[in-house]
Amino acid sequence: MQKIRKISQIFFLLLIVVIPILNLMEIYFFNGSFISLTVGNLAISDPLAVFQAIFLSHKIVPLMLISILIPILIVIFFGRVWCSYACPYFLMTELIDKIKNKLNIKNIQNKNINTNRQNIIRYGVLLTGFIIIGILGVPLLYLISPPSVISTQMIMIIKHLRFTSEVIILLSILIVEIFFIYRFACRYLCPTGTLLSLFQFKRFGLKVKHIGSCSECNACIKECPLMLDPKIDGDSKQCNNCGICVDSCKDNLKQKTLFFKMK
Amino acid sequence: MSFIDKIKLFLNSFDENEFFKINRMRPPGAVEEKLFMELCVRCSKCIEICPYRVIKRSNLTKNFEVGTPYIYAEEKGCRLCMNCTTVCPTGALDKDVTYFRDTRIGVAKVDDTICLNHLLYNQEEAGIADGTMAVCNQCFNSCPLKFDAIYLEDMILPRITDKCTGCGICTESCPTTPKKAINILPNGMADRDEAGYIQSLKRKGLR
Ligand code: SF4
Ligand code: SF4
Ligand code: SF4
Ligand code: SF4
Ligand code: SF4
Repeated sequence: MQKIRKISQIFFLLLIVVIPILNLMEIYFFNGSFISLTVGNLAISDPLAVFQAIFLSHKIVPLMLISILIPILIVIFFGRVWCSYACPYFLMTELIDKIKNKLNIKNIQNKNINTNRQNIIRYGVLLTGFIIIGILGVPLLYLISPPSVISTQMIMIIKHLRFTSEVIILLSILIVEIFFIYRFACRYLCPTGTLLSLFQFKRFGLKVKHIGSCSECNACIKECPLMLDPKIDGDSKQCNNCGICVDSCKDNLKQKTLFFKMK
Repeated sequence: MSFIDKIKLFLNSFDENEFFKINRMRPPGAVEEKLFMELCVRCSKCIEICPYRVIKRSNLTKNFEVGTPYIYAEEKGCRLCMNCTTVCPTGALDKDVTYFRDTRIGVAKVDDTICLNHLLYNQEEAGIADGTMAVCNQCFNSCPLKFDAIYLEDMILPRITDKCTGCGICTESCPTTPKKAINILPNGMADRDEAGYIQSLKRKGLR
């Protein structure tokens, strides 16, 4: 399962490189970034971008609503798989973890962190963000959403051979990520992920489930990148259904202990 | 060209001083500036699809224009291929503008104190033409809508009509330096020098 996830992540990474190149060759079947992507005649947009535009302009273009339908349906049914199967930033943080492991640098992980606190901070950031852009009148939340910045900057590099100033923000997020707070962007900051979380419902969708008793090896807790306790936090809004915990569970070999279930 | 020269040329091709550039305007079909700033989600779709690499992404500027698309007419004017209006996901670029003659990015304006044709005309009128100046006509020759958008009065003075799309190709090809003799006054932006710099307070209607 982790193999499928890696392949999917790399596919999406290639997508943000290949699409600008295709456009350079004047093939416009694919077009756009992870803020908004066109495939043929179908537009798919980041709900964050669309909600910001609606919030600021009080105008609803039907195309906007149609374009966020697919992402929202995917979240309702399968959880935030965008984050675990597609987001290039998540892939990047996993790479950083791997390098850190190789170099024997310990991650500053505080496993006793309260999941609720994480969620409260995330929603706080999103709410503050919306208040700030409401005052400024400009949809600027993409600035702190790493996948948006990465994919738009990739277009700039390939099309114009230059960065724009958003990279500074991305680099600062990365520095905090590497040296100070483990998985900082995904756990606290990223408004894209937080907004998608709004459509994860407690009683519906694909969730990690635990049968209640196991050998308590706590491998799952150790592996979870978002510092959850998969045994109890399966339906937490923080969980992005990456399945790392499910794959790490040794008891699964004997009996289905920690698994995905459609609620 | 030596290798060093090539490197210099390459480095100079990075237009980092865009902050000071005038003759900046929004892509074709852009709604008026206030609404544009609310609607444009900085997705870079228009930048990506422009086959002539005309649209650039803005750096951090005075009033949070960071990430929005601009055309810098002095570097390159819009070729009016109408690709960009078809892709915008939020309607910041109006989808209904699909015919290039309907585009109104802005309107060109000739500065007759530095236009070479005007200067030559003045010399001839005053009878002091000494043969050092020649007819320029660059703007007229390059305009995709010549005779409609721009015509030569008395066969020499460039005049703009209301058919001008504001594409900026004339500005691009005007040879005067450092200031261009023909400029684009973008629609919905304060004026040539302030284009794109509409203050955030003004945008909110507070000033
Ligand atoms: S929370 Fe944001 S940065 Fe993290 S994986 Fe999801 S979209 Fe990517
Ligand atoms: S009309 Fe064509 S050339 Fe002009 S800005 Fe749009 S895509 Fe570029
Ligand atoms: S396509 Fe529209 S929303 Fe996207 S950058 Fe261009 S103007 Fe902005
Ligand atoms: S005069 Fe012609 S070239 Fe100049 S902006 Fe108008 S349409 Fe474009
Ligand atoms: S290109 Fe410039 S200098 Fe030449 S005629 Fe036109 S406005 Fe005058």
